[in-house]
Amino acid sequence: MARVRLAGITKHYGTTVAVQDFNLEVVEGEFVTLLGPSGCGKTTILRIIAGLVEPTSGQVYFDGVEITHLSSNARNIGFVFQTPALFPHLSIAQNIAFGPSVKGYPQAEIQARVQRLLAMVDLEGYGDRLPAQLSGGQQQRVSLARVLATDPRVLLFDEPLSALDRNLRETLKYHILELQRKTKKTAIYVTHDQSEAFAISDRIVVINAGRIEQIGTQTEIYLQPQSPFVAEFIGANNSLAGQVLEYSPEEARVAAEGFHLRCRSGLPLAPGEPVLVYIRPENIQLLTDGRSASHRNLWEGTVERVVFEGSAAQVHVNVKGRLFKVEVSGAQRLEVMELGKSPIWLGFDEVTLIPQKSPR
Amino acid sequence: MHGLRRLSALSGGLLPSSRLWIVAFLLPAALMAVLFLYYPLIFIVRMSFTEKDTFLSPGGPLYTITNYLDLTGRYAPNILVTIKLAGLATLVDLAFGFPFAYILIRKVRYRDLVRAIMVFPMFGALYIAFGMRFVLLPGGFLTPILQLLGVEGAQVLYGLPSTVFAMAIFTFPFMVMNIGAALSNLDPMLEEAATCLGARPWQTLARVILPLVRSGVIAGCLVCFGWNVGAFAEPLLLGSLEEQRSLAWTLYQRGVVQLDYGLSATMGVVLLALAFSVNYLSLRYSRGGLVE
Amino acid sequence: MNLARLRRHLADLISHAYIWGCLLIFVTPFLALLSYSFEKVGGVSLVNYEYVFGSFMDNLLTSVRVSGAAVLINLLISLPAAYGLVRYRYPAKGFILSALTLPLYTPAAVLGLSLVLTYNFTYKLTTSIWGLVFAMVVGTFPLMVVPIVVALKDLPQVFEEASLSLGATRWQTYWRIVFPLIGPGISAGILLSFVIVFNEYLVTLFVSPPGVTTAPLRVFNLVRTAGLLNTTAALAATLQIISFIAVLIFFRLFGTRYLKGTYLI
Repeated sequence: MARVRLAGITKHYGTTVAVQDFNLEVVEGEFVTLLGPSGCGKTTILRIIAGLVEPTSGQVYFDGVEITHLSSNARNIGFVFQTPALFPHLSIAQNIAFGPSVKGYPQAEIQARVQRLLAMVDLEGYGDRLPAQLSGGQQQRVSLARVLATDPRVLLFDEPLSALDRNLRETLKYHILELQRKTKKTAIYVTHDQSEAFAISDRIVVINAGRIEQIGTQTEIYLQPQSPFVAEFIGANNSLAGQVLEYSPEEARVAAEGFHLRCRSGLPLAPGEPVLVYIRPENIQLLTDGRSASHRNLWEGTVERVVFEGSAAQVHVNVKGRLFKVEVSGAQRLEVMELGKSPIWLGFDEVTLIPQKSPR
Repeated sequence: MHGLRRLSALSGGLLPSSRLWIVAFLLPAALMAVLFLYYPLIFIVRMSFTEKDTFLSPGGPLYTITNYLDLTGRYAPNILVTIKLAGLATLVDLAFGFPFAYILIRKVRYRDLVRAIMVFPMFGALYIAFGMRFVLLPGGFLTPILQLLGVEGAQVLYGLPSTVFAMAIFTFPFMVMNIGAALSNLDPMLEEAATCLGARPWQTLARVILPLVRSGVIAGCLVCFGWNVGAFAEPLLLGSLEEQRSLAWTLYQRGVVQLDYGLSATMGVVLLALAFSVNYLSLRYSRGGLVE
Repeated sequence: MNLARLRRHLADLISHAYIWGCLLIFVTPFLALLSYSFEKVGGVSLVNYEYVFGSFMDNLLTSVRVSGAAVLINLLISLPAAYGLVRYRYPAKGFILSALTLPLYTPAAVLGLSLVLTYNFTYKLTTSIWGLVFAMVVGTFPLMVVPIVVALKDLPQVFEEASLSLGATRWQTYWRIVFPLIGPGISAGILLSFVIVFNEYLVTLFVSPPGVTTAPLRVFNLVRTAGLLNTTAALAATLQIISFIAVLIFFRLFGTRYLKGTYLI
């Protein structure tokens, strides 16, 4: 268990900048996720923490001690890779024993640990098998046990679920969280999958082009994205550019691309201030008759298209010549399948406003 | 009937399908191999059981096993020196080739340039031996360094070290390419995993890298050894009388110069057996065949 | 700059220095020959190369003729053999390929001895240059056939099928579809067997007919009998430079892919 602090980390590869002035503090026992699109530098940051990559400048601290140039094998970290990376010539038990054994622990101690960890990842009795004889999900569980065997100070995960199929991802996701909670270890987790990040993190760091866009809890990131990038990356698909007409703490009124919106906003806004308006597809309700509804915003439009996605359905609604995406779940997703090009009402209360920064 | 045959010609696939074609395709190569490789090799095996040059004498060949007795008796040192030289050169190749292959695969981006330069030994052991003679010569490249160490150039020239060195240069690419092929199949992530688990570099080497590239290392050693048992120019041009006892040079002396066909053929057979058995083993260790 | 970083940089530096050190040793014999080939009593000169294109010219021409003939015959034998080995299914195919590539593992001195004895006593080929040419063909056959086999295996059969179904004859399909598509493999085979035959001295030493001396054999004879001459060095350097230029041209045109399975694996 350790505190991890990154101070002004920058990494250049030749002329490309992978990470730019990155600062982050992770407290003991915290589960922090680095979330961003592929190529945003999140894996580089993780590898810098692990000591597999050396930063061009900046410092890494564990518990207040600088370890920027300490080599990986002396950091006592647990790194879980994208693929299980089990040693193919060693049995499962030998794989788990590898860390303690290179550190020179006594045999009895190693054996006890291996047994305890095999039990912890539900793989008792698999100790004598070779990695190739296990399924992908089992292998990734072994790799979890293998890093836990050294009792690491920090757990580092580099998209450990991305190579697995969907169902396995779901169960292993909670397995990882459970292990982290049980061992109370500091964990830093890299992913490009927002649902994964929301499911397991204490805090999420959204990264874009090597910089931090926003740090916050799941709800902060979801409800109060602070930049257009964050809003769009976590799935706020309907966006409009507009201007604040009126502002009071109870209600803001905004005009955007010919639409009028009313919403609450925590941010103090001045009338006339340019803002970006985001309406999440899952926050819009479809109503066959809007006149009796009590939403702040009620728009009338026509259904253009319905896309059925199994657990949900996407409805594209044309309002005054503009398409809005609406996500429908539950029983209603089956009802909307019947909709032709019929008139429909959109009702919604929650709107995200992001003040538009003056052009850089 | 006619129509049926046409149909079967079509459905028989788009290759010329009769067995005759297979034979026709392979016949020239097979003929060449039989006439210029297998028959001559069988010829020397037969000849190795005849005495001296009696094979063609009017009275018919005198069959004997004296040649083999000679070879394991009087000429045993020749076999031993051949094996010793090849073995030492292989060890030198391994010692220098493993780090070379590792750095080449893991760190070097200018790999094609390295490959291009590494074709130089391929042009032949003759040039290497000849060039090394110039290098080691009194007044050659190394003279100032050798003088600093208090050694005369000529002393080093004719002897074991320079012979082994030249042989090692000749087969170095085999070692590097065999180990390199095994290393490039080894995921670097495994090394990173070992490091993150606390393994020091030598522990990663001994416990992860070596066990996983073992077959490449063995194949490399066997191939180098197999080529070096046939070494000719290096012992001749760089070796002392001791190194010049190596089989390839001796069989030339006995066969072509002294016309002792029986003994020369016997040395050829022994050399052949050495090379074939070693290369057979190396093929067992390298990955699969070319055609399955 | 702190100590740990300095150490890593130093390790990198040593790694690359090691590679270049080894490469330097590789080319040292060549560089030695080259530098001595320029040497003349009292200075540097190209005069030694006058011999190369003077009294050694015959040897060079012989080498070119023998190499050309051997490579051509080899190609004519290898192309159908490779096709037959890759495109058909029949038992013991792997064994046949091994049997055909056996010369690669036969020590040159043994090949030379066995050939000179059979030429002497059975084939009566000792006075013909064709004996030498066929010795070269059999010795380099694996180097020709293996790259072609690799290229053919990489070539999906669907191109041939498309060509035939479009009405081309088998012969047209070979010439207009198959051969162009396996061009790099064929080129690799030609390059490898040329470089080896062109520099061959050992089998040649055994089987070359009286009065026929290829350039590498001339180098060998001169080193054996006349010791270290600057003119011999010039000839050896010339042979290596010609070979290296051939390799470089090939690398530029085709890369190293098709040299797999051969000397450079």
